Amino acid sequence: MTRLIGAELLKVRTTRLFLWLGLLTLALETLVISLHVGKDSLSSLGEPRQQRDVVSIAAVSALISLILGIVASAGEFAHGTIGQTFLVAPVRERVAAAKLIAGALAGSILAVIACAFAWGLAALLLSVRSVPLHLGSGGAVRIALGTILAAALTGAFGIGLGALLRRQTAAIVIALIWLLVGEPLLLGIAGVERYGPGRVIASVVEAGNQGSDLLSFGAGLGVALVYVAIAGALGTLSLSRSDIT
Amino acid sequence: MAAAPLEVRSLTKRFRSTTAVDGLTFAIEPGRITGFLGPNGAGKTTTLRILLGLVRATAGDALVEGVPYRRLRDPASSVGAVLEASSYHPARSGRNHLRVLATAAGIPHARIDETLRQVELEDAAGRPVTTYSLGMRQRLSVAGALLGEPRLLVLDEPANGLDPEGIRWLRRFLRSFAADGGTVFISSHVLAEIAQLADDVVIIHRAKLLAHESIAALTTRAAGGTIVRSPDSGRLRERLSAEGIEADAADESRLHVAGPPERVGEIAAAAGIVLHELRGEGASLEEAFLELTGAEE
Repeated sequence: MTRLIGAELLKVRTTRLFLWLGLLTLALETLVISLHVGKDSLSSLGEPRQQRDVVSIAAVSALISLILGIVASAGEFAHGTIGQTFLVAPVRERVAAAKLIAGALAGSILAVIACAFAWGLAALLLSVRSVPLHLGSGGAVRIALGTILAAALTGAFGIGLGALLRRQTAAIVIALIWLLVGEPLLLGIAGVERYGPGRVIASVVEAGNQGSDLLSFGAGLGVALVYVAIAGALGTLSLSRSDIT
Repeated sequence: MAAAPLEVRSLTKRFRSTTAVDGLTFAIEPGRITGFLGPNGAGKTTTLRILLGLVRATAGDALVEGVPYRRLRDPASSVGAVLEASSYHPARSGRNHLRVLATAAGIPHARIDETLRQVELEDAAGRPVTTYSLGMRQRLSVAGALLGEPRLLVLDEPANGLDPEGIRWLRRFLRSFAADGGTVFISSHVLAEIAQLADDVVIIHRAKLLAHESIAALTTRAAGGTIVRSPDSGRLRERLSAEGIEADAADESRLHVAGPPERVGEIAAAAGIVLHELRGEGASLEEAFLELTGAEE
């Protein structure tokens, strides 16, 4: 299993996928943190809660990790490399498990980089404005740990979704439309919005800092794991039953 | 008794209402090059993909060294496969493509450079595959197939799109692989190529097996005739005629006989007639193939 996970991580590393998605994450962080620190008043920036909000943009890595998982998984079908994958590792359930684990690892690595960059940039810009730093406060650290955990979950979820749908563009569009439109609209109407995939990931990111509109960290993590398990199981089933023609 | 390198038994595959493979049964011999022939759409690729565990059979068995591909303990050391239109991630280099395969199969990375040398692709190994010509991609496929030092090579239309130099390289390579004791199963619709390369052929048409024999036997049988030379050709002709076999005199001592050499030899021996020459009158593989597949139309 270790070598299959290694091969899956190598696949991500040996294309420009991780590089481009990583750069996209850092660019978004740079934009948001620069605007935040540049625009907010010195007094508000000096508050630990405000500084926590500044670095919380690192949570975008959870969304990018979802895309990373989808592309890594559905990309095998887009480029037709899935046949060669199954030739060297014909037990497909093992390949699927390796992909899910590699997706979680790649997502968490992306989040670690995103958090480190956000912290570094925020510290630099706050220092330039002579604002005392409170980035080591409990809230900010919890958000970093929550972000890394959330990105691992979305990475694995993306792998499952990509294996199930097999078309990377369609899978990304469906995921984004659901998160931005479908979830607030449909689940809001049904009154169960807090249980939607986007919201439960947010509750994992917030890691105990959340307000009443999100599930608690434990409940959110539990529901998120159920979503990952469902996507993983359906993706595995799809991989193991399909003919590679 | 050792299991055949590849064997299919009553293999059937249906895609909805289409039967792609219909009750196919054959086993190939170790240490030989076997051509897998059939017109486009005959079911060659589906059969190979079932053998390689990529497509599930509707019925029957497809075995590699006696077990289904998915149950092979170390598939890379059993079979190296070069699939038709092998696909690559365009941004990945040839070397990295092999690194991924070697890592997944647990093959030491030292083998990567060895196989790149073997397929003469060392200089281009660092370039993205998207910059490769079709011939270079085929060589990369062969390198991937060789990573695990397999006992059997399975190739699906490997000559497709190759220039004459590429085809010559492939022929040379497969001959040397077989000469070292390896078994080769190669599908193709380029009959001239198979005629030059293979020892045996499996021919399928419309999803069914038409023939499985050596090329020599097939071409002889297809022609169905025999050339025989005897100092007593007149008496031989009479004997043959008495057995219902037609024979025409080609010259004073030589006959063209419309029957297999085995039967002609038996009749001559029974009559005590001395023979100076007895050989099958061979057709080309193409003629034999067209005769077989044409008879099915």
